[in-house]
Amino acid sequence: MVGFSQNEQTFEQANDLYNSGYYKEAIDRYDSILEADQHSAELYFNLANCYYKLNEIGPSIFYYEKALKLAPNDSDILNNLGYAQKMTIDAIQEVPEVEVSKLLNKTLDSLSVDGWAVRCIALAFLFVSLFLGYYLSYSETKKRLFFVSSSVVLIVLFIVLGLLFKKNSLDRNTHPAIVFVKETGVKSEPNLRSETSFTLHEGTKVLIIDEYNEDWLKIKLINGETGWVTRSELKAL
Amino acid sequence: MKPHILLLTFFMSGFLSAQVSFEAKVSKKRLGINERLRIDFTMNTDGDNFEPPSFKNFTVVGGPSQSINNSWINGTRSFSKSYSYFLAPKKRGEFTIGQATIEIEGKIYKTVPVKITVTAAIDKPKDPNDPNYIASEKIHLVAEISNGNPYLNEAITVVYKLYVAQNTGVRNWREIDNPRYSDFWSQNIDVKGINIQQGTYKGEDYRYVVLRKTVLYPQKTGKLSIEPLSLDVTVEVPSNRRDVFGRSFMSTVNRTVSSKNRTLDVKPLPESGKPENFSGAVGDFDFKVTTNKQTLNATEALELKVTASGKGNLKLFKLPRPILPSALEVYEPEHSEKVSTRTSGMQGTISDTYTVIPNFQGSYPIPKVSFSYFDLKTKRYRTVTSKRLIIEVSEGPKNTSGSNKNTPVTPTENIIPTNLNAFSSFKTSTNFQPITSEPFFNSQLFWLLLLGPFLLIPFIIFIVKHRAIRALDVSGNKLRKTTRLARKYLSDAKKSLGQKEQFYNALERALHNYLKSKLRLETSEFNKEKIEELLGNKNINSTTLEGFISLLTSCELARYTPLSTVDMQNDYKKAASIINDLDKQLN
Repeated sequence: MVGFSQNEQTFEQANDLYNSGYYKEAIDRYDSILEADQHSAELYFNLANCYYKLNEIGPSIFYYEKALKLAPNDSDILNNLGYAQKMTIDAIQEVPEVEVSKLLNKTLDSLSVDGWAVRCIALAFLFVSLFLGYYLSYSETKKRLFFVSSSVVLIVLFIVLGLLFKKNSLDRNTHPAIVFVKETGVKSEPNLRSETSFTLHEGTKVLIIDEYNEDWLKIKLINGETGWVTRSELKAL
Repeated sequence: MKPHILLLTFFMSGFLSAQVSFEAKVSKKRLGINERLRIDFTMNTDGDNFEPPSFKNFTVVGGPSQSINNSWINGTRSFSKSYSYFLAPKKRGEFTIGQATIEIEGKIYKTVPVKITVTAAIDKPKDPNDPNYIASEKIHLVAEISNGNPYLNEAITVVYKLYVAQNTGVRNWREIDNPRYSDFWSQNIDVKGINIQQGTYKGEDYRYVVLRKTVLYPQKTGKLSIEPLSLDVTVEVPSNRRDVFGRSFMSTVNRTVSSKNRTLDVKPLPESGKPENFSGAVGDFDFKVTTNKQTLNATEALELKVTASGKGNLKLFKLPRPILPSALEVYEPEHSEKVSTRTSGMQGTISDTYTVIPNFQGSYPIPKVSFSYFDLKTKRYRTVTSKRLIIEVSEGPKNTSGSNKNTPVTPTENIIPTNLNAFSSFKTSTNFQPITSEPFFNSQLFWLLLLGPFLLIPFIIFIVKHRAIRALDVSGNKLRKTTRLARKYLSDAKKSLGQKEQFYNALERALHNYLKSKLRLETSEFNKEKIEELLGNKNINSTTLEGFISLLTSCELARYTPLSTVDMQNDYKKAASIINDLDKQLN
């Protein structure tokens, strides 16, 4: 409990520094909270704001994405992330998706894995209470009402359970990362001799899909292009 | 005799007519522009109406001269007549000298056209018998090259000087062949007026005139030759004849003078330390990236200027393109050059001006732009990097996601949300959680909470069922009810120890209810005899029975007699032990 209040004090101090324009000092304070193994969406958000104010695109986008992971629907985070993305140089066109999969992805992204898990449990409880309501009530209309509603809830529960597992596997298999260097050449093979297939600039979000020894990561862009970059040029979320 | 002669003439004419030839002969088919060509049109039978071809592309410097050669050798007559012309080519290239025609014995004969190739001026072998030799000794055209071993793209100057000896004069000159600098970027520098200067040529005093200056930037490495310049000069040369005063007569000669073929050895730029973004700039430059404003409103235009200034091959390289955030609308740049060419090379400023329009508010960094060039002084590459600029776009249209799609230039569809509110400031409060927390999903608690409720279903069903069965059992219920009441009254009695009335009331009720439950008695049949009889039937031993009866009587008596707390306590203990005994014996 002592540790908690201390971190909150540091957070407030950092906010004061931010408010007075001492962004670098504020970043140091925020980082010290992270070093104490504590985090929160707000902490990442403020940290990202600091980097944005210092015009450091890479870290700024990195921490906004981190914040978004903890609070996927926060409008402030989405808004400021938009500002940071406007500073980036790469404009990568997304591969067009079918409406259905777009909707699915949007739904999946609206909650974190644990968020979905909590929803599942709430639905399980709701279902059980409705089912017992059906079992225990005597009047015909009540019984019917409880039965219909409990079966609807059961179907919803299964859907949400499916989404939960899908989201979990998605989170496990996609490792987004942010480009941290000003400019990097993406190679066609994991060595320095091979030719550069395209270049990326700071702040671009990529997906890590493979790795090779200590140094090389295979990345994929949202437009489907793939290539190899050195590990030090990216920072995984 | 007559027919004989006739026959002979017939034969002869037949013979002769078969032998008529009319040919064009040239002294050479390939010649330099500074050389001359002799063409002879020769026939072996006299003819009339000679028509020379049009010698276009050539100047007729001599001729036509006619010569007739008629000889009798061993009774055979050989005849030849020729028209000769001396031609000087006007320009380089391949030319055809057309057909000449002649009428011989009523027939028209034509020569075969001759192809002549005129090349660049060649060094003429010296011929002391040539009348132009003196002129050639006295007049020289020299191409002076500032640097015979330049780097690629390094400026060199070629100065053409016409040296004239002191005792000769030049009346007039005309350029007949302009060198083509095919492997160079070249620019002529106008020479204003003729400024006669004194100089030496091979140790002798000469006068000279600078005819032309050219700045060259080699575009290829290796050995490159500079083609000579050729001039047609009218020279006044002193002749051997002298007038009565001993002054020599000046004779006028037309001469073609050419500078010598010069070869340059162009060095490639060093490979070591060549920056990646090197675009071929060689010289000494200053590089800047500037904007005309730092803060502006959205949809207003901004000018971004990339400038390189200094000395070097300014017109021969491209300025680096700044890489701008994709959210900015950037139009094609306007290129402008303010470059003057002097003998030392190009000098001035080139710039690319980009029109940039930010559509939305925010701050946009313009990354550093690097420009590399090869510095000729230090013989090293140098990289100039501009400062990073930040454009602040203060006011922007909000919710303009529709208008963005109509913008003309950026074809890339931005993935960036366009309808942004103002930049949100920091958040003031937070709840921290450990970073390395175990995920809730797949934890034991998760599965327990997910499946627990389902296990609850059969459990609750079991309880409900059990209760229903018990609800059906009426007598059992009654029994349980009276037992419960008995217990209740007994505890009431215990509470009211010391208050005589209440205590014995409760005790009596407790005993009644106890019997009701155990013996299935109704309140109506409640009297001592009945109790005695029933308990006797149940084989209760006599001491317990008597104790029970005495308790009942003491309950009745107590209403009328004063009793102490100690008695009450004794009665309570007695009741408890009797109920205990009855419980044991009844079951």
